[in-house]
Amino acid sequence: MKVKHVNRTQSNLSMAHSPELDAVPAELRVAPPSPQERQNAVCAYLSGIWNARYFWVHLSLSDLRYRWRRSFFGALWSIMQPVGMTLLLSLVFGRIFNADIAEYAPFILSGMIFWEFITSTATGGSLAFVQADAYIKQCHHPLAIYTLRTALTNLLVLMMASLGLVAWVLVVMPHHFGWQWLAALLIYPIVALIAWPLATVLAYVATRFRDVPHALALAFQTLWLVSPIYFDPALFRNGGLHVLVDYNPVYHLLEVVRAPLLRGQWPTSTNFAYCAVTILALTLLAWLVGRTAERRVIFYL
Amino acid sequence: MKANHIFLDNVNLHYASVAFKERSLKSLLGGLLKRGRPSTEVQDVHALKDISLEIRAGERVGLLGHNGAGKSTFLKMVAGLYPISGGRRIVEGTVRSLFDLSLGFEPDATGRENILYRGLLLGLSPKFMRTIEDEIVEFAGLGEFIDYPIRTYSAGMQVRLAFAISTAVGGDVLLLDEVIGAGDANFMAKAKDRIAKLIEQSEILVLASHDFGALRSLCERGLVFDHGKLIYDGPIDETIDRYKVANGIAA
Repeated sequence: MKVKHVNRTQSNLSMAHSPELDAVPAELRVAPPSPQERQNAVCAYLSGIWNARYFWVHLSLSDLRYRWRRSFFGALWSIMQPVGMTLLLSLVFGRIFNADIAEYAPFILSGMIFWEFITSTATGGSLAFVQADAYIKQCHHPLAIYTLRTALTNLLVLMMASLGLVAWVLVVMPHHFGWQWLAALLIYPIVALIAWPLATVLAYVATRFRDVPHALALAFQTLWLVSPIYFDPALFRNGGLHVLVDYNPVYHLLEVVRAPLLRGQWPTSTNFAYCAVTILALTLLAWLVGRTAERRVIFYL
Repeated sequence: MKANHIFLDNVNLHYASVAFKERSLKSLLGGLLKRGRPSTEVQDVHALKDISLEIRAGERVGLLGHNGAGKSTFLKMVAGLYPISGGRRIVEGTVRSLFDLSLGFEPDATGRENILYRGLLLGLSPKFMRTIEDEIVEFAGLGEFIDYPIRTYSAGMQVRLAFAISTAVGGDVLLLDEVIGAGDANFMAKAKDRIAKLIEQSEILVLASHDFGALRSLCERGLVFDHGKLIYDGPIDETIDRYKVANGIAA
């Protein structure tokens, strides 16, 4: 292989602009796909994910085994850790905000476990391709299976953790139990469909720019601060910051769980609409980024 | 169903130069700031240049070329791992490739578990893997070590296990990249038999090797690569001669 030294000033992400390729006659270049071909490509991609299901389920389960290997409490840690953290936090915040601990603690717990799911899927998922490089270099699978693995692993942890939340609410506020709890179950598919494309977009970018995980930590901290995750939405509203609640997808996402469990109400259609728009936006973004980035990832590993 | 075949029309492949330059936001921003100043930079590597060929069902093809001529890149391109930057690539049939065998083991899991994992990586079902597990264990011949974690294995044992797993399942299109040298002499003989069986099952074989004997006995068609270009395509004996001439080796 020849390595040429040419005067060039701009580092480009895209190989399609390399001068050597421009020398290739136009008729030999890959033609832009027609809508029909594009649709077929999407179908082929999704069926590729489905065909590899044994593989990513296995990866995900082995991640879980690895996480709990040689620990005495094992999977129980995923329940105990957020509950313990919540106890500490609600002691402090309960005092500051003069809130009833029994009622305020499940609020914090619900915010904590779902927030933890999203941040760990996004930050862990952003390194998913780098982590799976041995597989990517050997076998041609859709790359989204590697972020799906991260999402699935964290989803299973989240499900464990939410057992703690459900138990707590049943003990402290049993009168909230009812049919509306069925709606709360929708949180799992919703939150997974938000975190998976998000992690995929980040993984495409992070393979090229390894700065992403660091920047992500900062971004999530900011988002955490301006969202009603640990803080009561009323605090934002009273402070004239209702925008941070009413137009915040994080708030609406959490409402899907909080309305039924903490207040015994049905989530509103606005809550679901915000979730749906977030899912669509992130999926579209993942598709747009993946269209060009998917094939090139192998060069950056 | 269409017959298994490989069809390449003016295929070009570039390795993106950004991949081996410094890859951080800092260098990208730095590059933008320094825009006015011309600097020497590493250019994209043009690894395959205008490759056009067709391989039909039943053909056995050997690849020859100096190191870095593009043999491995060619195989990985056919396997669909590397994206092409120009031309057309059509590959029909399930592709099975043996490239770097020791990749993708989980060091903390036992040999037996890794058999399952590797099978799943290849897209096989757990059910099917259970049916061929005993045969793989038998072939690898690691004795009781099969139930030990991979990280206790010697390099040779890892290769044996990897070889046993990777060659347990054939495909329509078989791509081999100089994997024939695996393990000790005893294992080598077994390995040769197994490769031969695998090749028999496959419809198309593409083998990259520097072993003229193996190429002569396995293939009837040969391709010579030189600096990313396909410089000869014909019967294997002449291919070997052409390769020797091109690389200044006395015939």
